[in-house]
Amino acid sequence: MSDNIGPAVSRKPGRFTALLISLGIFAGASFVGYLFHIMGFPDTNVVVVYLLAILLIVWSTKRFLYGLFFSVATTFTFNYFFSEPRFTLSVNDPNYYITFVTMLVTALITSILTSRIQREAHHAQKKESEIRAINNLTNHLTDARDAEEIADIAVRSIGDVLEVSVGCLYFDETGNPENTYIFRTKRPEQRELRRRTEKAEELRWRINELRTPYDETDEFYDFPLYGKDGTLGIIRIAREDIDIEDRDLQELIHSMVDSVAMAVDRFRFIRQEIHSREEIVKERYRANLLRAISHDIRTPLTGIIGTSEILLGKQKDPEAIDLTRRIQSDAQWLHSMVENILNLTRIQDEELELKKQPEALEEIIGSAIERVRGHAPQYDIDVEFPEEFLLVPMDAKLIEQVLINLMDNAIKHTPPDRQIRILVENDSKARLQRIRVQDEGDGISEEDLPYIFEKFYTSGSNKPYFARGVGLGLAICETIIHAHGGTIHARNRADKQGAEFEFTLPYGGETYEPEHFDRGR
Amino acid sequence: MNQNILTAEDDLQIQSFIDYALKHEGYSCITASNGEEAIRKAREENTAIMILDLGLPDMDGKEVIRTVRLESQMPIIVVSARDRESEKIAALDAGADDYLTKPFSATELMARIRVAERHLKNQIRQEDSGGSEVRELRIDLNKRLVYLAEKELHVTPMEYQLLEYFFQNIGKVLTTKSIIEVLWGKGYGSDTQALRSLMAGLRRKIEKNPAKPEYIITEIGVGYRLLDQ
Repeated sequence: MSDNIGPAVSRKPGRFTALLISLGIFAGASFVGYLFHIMGFPDTNVVVVYLLAILLIVWSTKRFLYGLFFSVATTFTFNYFFSEPRFTLSVNDPNYYITFVTMLVTALITSILTSRIQREAHHAQKKESEIRAINNLTNHLTDARDAEEIADIAVRSIGDVLEVSVGCLYFDETGNPENTYIFRTKRPEQRELRRRTEKAEELRWRINELRTPYDETDEFYDFPLYGKDGTLGIIRIAREDIDIEDRDLQELIHSMVDSVAMAVDRFRFIRQEIHSREEIVKERYRANLLRAISHDIRTPLTGIIGTSEILLGKQKDPEAIDLTRRIQSDAQWLHSMVENILNLTRIQDEELELKKQPEALEEIIGSAIERVRGHAPQYDIDVEFPEEFLLVPMDAKLIEQVLINLMDNAIKHTPPDRQIRILVENDSKARLQRIRVQDEGDGISEEDLPYIFEKFYTSGSNKPYFARGVGLGLAICETIIHAHGGTIHARNRADKQGAEFEFTLPYGGETYEPEHFDRGR
Repeated sequence: MNQNILTAEDDLQIQSFIDYALKHEGYSCITASNGEEAIRKAREENTAIMILDLGLPDMDGKEVIRTVRLESQMPIIVVSARDRESEKIAALDAGADDYLTKPFSATELMARIRVAERHLKNQIRQEDSGGSEVRELRIDLNKRLVYLAEKELHVTPMEYQLLEYFFQNIGKVLTTKSIIEVLWGKGYGSDTQALRSLMAGLRRKIEKNPAKPEYIITEIGVGYRLLDQ
């Protein structure tokens, strides 16, 4: 893997080497100049040789300052050794001044241009090799089968390109650093090992609070891997191995880190996608099963409820009457459970599109009360309704179920001689209808209040008969109301003893305006 | 009187419970456990009222209703699960008179039977007088006037038409679709907004509390019913 990822940029020679090279070239040029001089060639040839020397110096040392220094040096050397009078800095022929100046200027320009070309070439070369390195990294990452492999490729590539010791540490789905991470030491050992994550909690905090492009510790620079939904992990590079002030280097690191982050993000996304698809299939299967069972329960339930009712009419013995009543109420409870389950499976099935139609809430309340009266005739439920008439989009059956559940809940906690009432308000400013179901029962205990809508939560009190079924009923209320874009809350009444459940039904963008009717009497 | 009531139901326990409830009230029972048997018995036995489970094993409940309707106007009460609104509507539109939702009580069943019986009587008597009344609410079909507790009620022509239709079908479930057809014509479509608004206006005139109606009750997802008692 490391075969085709590697540094391709030729490096500057060290200062000492550069000086030796420069002096060598300078000496060589002077020697050639001397030969030309002996052979009686014109001095201009010597000048050209020196200019060539400057070019070579800058080219081989890649240092502009050397060019500058030797431009001046050659000019003086030429003046001292080759121009008449020789071995002095003085000049007989004033034409030489022009030669000196021209020579100096040409030498300077040569060194400037050469060094610029070199710098650009160097830069281009470096950029190219960086791009190649990143491309290579990206290509390898595309083939990665799992997160482990991604980490492995990341440390190899980054380690080889930058010649650093590097680690790749993942954060898990909940944003906590994993216990260990892969770490690869730099050349020459290039050993891969798993290191233990130190102070994971602190690391998490530091990375989450990070406002700069990287974080630093005594040992490492940590570069975060950012995904769509948060931090995926970090790439950590040994502090001693890089010069963090080098902008180009930082940029390169960030490009590589971004590639890794993208790969991890994609991998996690795919994994999640597969997972949730499996979940949906499972969920649908479960819902279908539940629905089939519930449907089948209904038929014998009809027999039980009907038969027990007839039985009740035939009983004279008070104990037998009581027992039959119990059968009846249990069957009733089972029935409401079945209805709730059926509605729940319905919402889950149609999660994306509820069958919402403009409905008049008063009709639904009327129907719900009628049904509650069917199994609790001893309760009289009051309704306070605004005079104005309003159509609000909703799934009538589901909202009816919410009202039934809330009323059943109120009935469970309220004796028949106390009041249960439904209050409806139209809030035209917030464009929603607000419905409150109030009872005068024992209220909700403070410890139950936060959990009251939780699925399958039944209050921890030792009144199993009363608490039974409440959990599912209220959880379904919440699911239904949320599916309608509304809110639901439970609280104890401020005005008197008892509980109050409030839910809202928004009619937001719809254009049904309230209507007023005259009463005709 | 000893009316023959036919129960078409394939579940034995429900069948026996219905049987018992009916016999207890003095009716004679005929039973059928599939659609074919139901059609045959409806024809051959002297059946006055039919209770029909829509989930019979051999044929679609709508088919049974249509076939029976070819020869007889006997009241048909269908039995169906609660979340099967479209099934109920289809049955009502096919000619059923009423429906019961599973699970139901003997009280509910007998209430429906009584409504059906009154229908029978009305069919026999035809519409003799020009008026009809339900408790405090009275309609004068000749003068086209409505009274509530002997006081004349100001209703709009549409509201009158609506009430008239209900009074022609006291106790019967009228589907939303059939009401819209009667009031606005067949081409109107299935937009229920105007009907809901009309109903709200009428209820504010005849009901003490429109959210707890005593006369016209809502059958959610199906239609409306004028309660006769």
